[in-house]
Amino acid sequence: MKAGKFPLLYPTGSFAGLLFVLGAMWYAASSQNNPAVYLLLFGLTAVFLVSIPHTLLNLADVTIASESAKPAFAGQEVSLPIEIMNCSRAPRRGIQLVVPGRGGQRKHVDYIPAGKAARVTLRFPAKQRGEHRISTFRLTSIYPLGFVRVSKKFASSQTYLVYPKPSGDPRLPMHRARSPHSPPQTELGEGDDFAGVRAYVPGESQRHIDWRAVARGQPLMTKQFAAEAEGSVHLDFSALRFHRAEERLSQLALWVIEAERVRRPYSLRLPNTDIAPAVGEAHFHRCLRALSLFPGEEGA
Amino acid sequence: MSDRRNSRRTQQWRDTTIPRRPLLWLAAALLFTLPALLGALASWVPFLFLFALLLKFWMEPRGYRLRSTSLKLILAALTLGAIFLSYDTLKGIEPAVSLLAVLVSLKILEAHTAREFQVMVMMAWVLCLCGFLLSQDLAIAFCLFVAFALLIAALVQFHRPATAGSPGAFWLPLATTLKLLAQAAPVVVLLFLLFPRINTGFQFRIGDLHAAMTGFSDRLSPGGIETLANSSDIAFRAEFPDRRTGPGGPLYWRGLVMWHCEGLEWRAPYAPASISDSFQQYPASDKTIRQRITIAPHGARWMFALDRPFGIPSGAMLARGNYLYSVQPIRKPRRYEVLSSTDPIGEELGARERREALQLPASISPAVRELAASLAAQNSGPRATVASGLQFFRTQGFRYSLSPGEYNKNDLEEFLFRRRTGFCEHYAASFATLMRLAGIPARVVVGYLGGEYNDLGGFFLVRQADTHAWCEVWIPENGWTRIDPTSVVAPGRANLDLSSFLASRVASGEMAAGRSAFLTRLARLALVNQIRFIWEALNYQWDTRVLGFDADVQDVLLTSLGLTNGGPFPLVMQVLIVIAALLIIYAGWMQLRTRPRADRVQALYERYCQKLARIGVQRDPWEGPSDFAKRAAQSFPNASEYVRQITETYIALRYAPGPAAISLDKFAKKINAFTAHR
Repeated sequence: MKAGKFPLLYPTGSFAGLLFVLGAMWYAASSQNNPAVYLLLFGLTAVFLVSIPHTLLNLADVTIASESAKPAFAGQEVSLPIEIMNCSRAPRRGIQLVVPGRGGQRKHVDYIPAGKAARVTLRFPAKQRGEHRISTFRLTSIYPLGFVRVSKKFASSQTYLVYPKPSGDPRLPMHRARSPHSPPQTELGEGDDFAGVRAYVPGESQRHIDWRAVARGQPLMTKQFAAEAEGSVHLDFSALRFHRAEERLSQLALWVIEAERVRRPYSLRLPNTDIAPAVGEAHFHRCLRALSLFPGEEGA
Repeated sequence: MSDRRNSRRTQQWRDTTIPRRPLLWLAAALLFTLPALLGALASWVPFLFLFALLLKFWMEPRGYRLRSTSLKLILAALTLGAIFLSYDTLKGIEPAVSLLAVLVSLKILEAHTAREFQVMVMMAWVLCLCGFLLSQDLAIAFCLFVAFALLIAALVQFHRPATAGSPGAFWLPLATTLKLLAQAAPVVVLLFLLFPRINTGFQFRIGDLHAAMTGFSDRLSPGGIETLANSSDIAFRAEFPDRRTGPGGPLYWRGLVMWHCEGLEWRAPYAPASISDSFQQYPASDKTIRQRITIAPHGARWMFALDRPFGIPSGAMLARGNYLYSVQPIRKPRRYEVLSSTDPIGEELGARERREALQLPASISPAVRELAASLAAQNSGPRATVASGLQFFRTQGFRYSLSPGEYNKNDLEEFLFRRRTGFCEHYAASFATLMRLAGIPARVVVGYLGGEYNDLGGFFLVRQADTHAWCEVWIPENGWTRIDPTSVVAPGRANLDLSSFLASRVASGEMAAGRSAFLTRLARLALVNQIRFIWEALNYQWDTRVLGFDADVQDVLLTSLGLTNGGPFPLVMQVLIVIAALLIIYAGWMQLRTRPRADRVQALYERYCQKLARIGVQRDPWEGPSDFAKRAAQSFPNASEYVRQITETYIALRYAPGPAAISLDKFAKKINAFTAHR
């Protein structure tokens, strides 16, 4: 990630306290003409001054790289793994990663050995659906004395996707949803035949997680049961009777999840997009992505 | 809504509990400030302080702390009242220091958050400041600087809350602190020497701590010097810049001259008249001794020099009787250079001086008068009279003793004829009175005799215990001549400082071993002595180089460096520029030392790639070095050996675990030597 040209240096709150103490020392020394107090005054001043290059260099040759964030549903938490790399030949200490804007996210890293990297995961609530962009990351450090803060800006093009919050009626529409007035009908469609596993999508019911696989150290997987015989579902934006677009998107997102869970092929029709019926993870994310990028009053 | 949540989140981040380790460092620092403050604190405050520290360590792991505001207020009010009761006032530095210590104690119990930790560190620094205002003794200063360093360690530890696994959880703050201090040292020296000491003019007197007079007074009364004989306080220290050790012979350090006689009691003039040294002829340079004297504050105005000073240091005058007299009372350590003459200085006795030097009290008993008359009558001249006076002391069974019993100022007869036991003051006073009675102008000189030579520091240390009194009589041919009647009674005294003299007497059984016998024996151990010498030498350096370096001395230094023209402002700028340069050097040095090494390998390899690119083999961004080498070797079969070697070396340097077999410089040479031809 590209770093800003110069690290910024500015005083912290405790710098005011230091100034007060230095002022008191100076006043006492000069009014008493007391060389010992002068020595103390200059000692504190000098240690403070010398700590500035230490603080400044605490971020030298430290860069960050972010990995792609997994999409999250609105109302859940986005977790963004970030790697802070110390490319220098000295350990770096007391580094803080700040993401401006997103609820003042900070992560503290105490220690990165020379040439190693530390991994932190930023977590923040996903509020609105859409594609979000983190334009800057900031590394700051006040180590060792805490009187000045050095801050280095990293320009980034990191994006993350927030899917609409799934809500509404979990029952999949029975008939071809093209007829706008047909009410959604009950079709549970949960088959009993085990048909395989696929990656767990946050928000899914935890009953179908393959916990044995987790115990073996594998990632979260959802068991799938065959109910293919049902035929495909057509999810149509314009067929829904909600007034607000967001509500429709939420309902569609819920259906997408349900349909994917029961492995029923589904197609998605939005005013600007048309996705052919299919099933599977790629299709699932394609649909949700289309829902989340749907232009609307709240969409990004 | 979101704003409020933001602020709460930030608050939460700040409101972390103080980890235990920084608290330990802080507690250690606070403990080290205590010795400096002990003298000023009310007797119960240190106990409260320690109790609070201990309580904190009990409370912190259990999550207890002083939370209730009303309880805090009640405690604060209680301690404030207790301080007022202890001192009867809240003004002055001692109640203030007590108050600060109490506040720190309460703050320790209350503190919980990061910000409060910073506040405690600041308060501890202010305690250090108070310690230095109260005492500048080296031992105290040592404690305070340890506290200062521990506070820095506490801050370092605090800003890197050590996770259990990270290495050097304990030593790292210490190492970082030492590194910071080492790098700060040149800056401190620079600031200390050159930063202008502007006097704000707002003086606040610190108690009456230094107003107490130490050493002798302007009155020589029976028993006055005795009380000093057991004091090991430092009076002054003297160096001889022109020679390694002192001049041979006993060292009589002249303090002040007493003219007014009241029998066994003598007195110096309240306001001595100044004499100029212009009329005196300067003695030849081989008859002079240059001394550099560092005087400990004693609250009075006399200054010391070897018999007889004739050059006047600044801020002093030469008083009638040839002794140095400071213009201001000496309330802080002071260093000066003075020249003394070993030869008598040609001088005259004016009529007024003669009258004063023969003044006598009315209340002299007939027996004493008779004795003086007989001394004068037996002899033809003053020399012979002086000699027979000394003979009287030598032969009539006089004893030298530190505890001669009580004398009144009119007890001259009692001393001379009955008890005949005394200390230097008795001998000097009675002898001078006898001489005056015999018609010889006489006066008493009080000062110090001897001193301990510190081989390590090359200076003489003169203690209050070395206080001595002797006489001067006017012999027309010689001028004022020093006569030390004590040396007649106790011949060894003149060549030894008092403590060694007494020690030798104890050893030879002449004196009963007192309560200091153990100390005396301890002092004879070589190792103990060596350590004491080192400590005293350090002390001397501290007193002269640090405490002696005040605004006046700085002025002299700045003038000699030619930095005074232009006022303080340009000087401050210059100092700041030098410091900034120093900081930049530090930063550059640290950056160079920690810059990633891999960069150079990569840079060299990229240069090699550029060389190849120039002749037509471009490395693709996704191409690994081995693949690229294969392709390059195919294009240039004649350079394939070079390409293979360079690639192998590059891979070894870049990716091999452990130290590389080939040095970076060799790799650089190889790449520089590489020239590809089609």
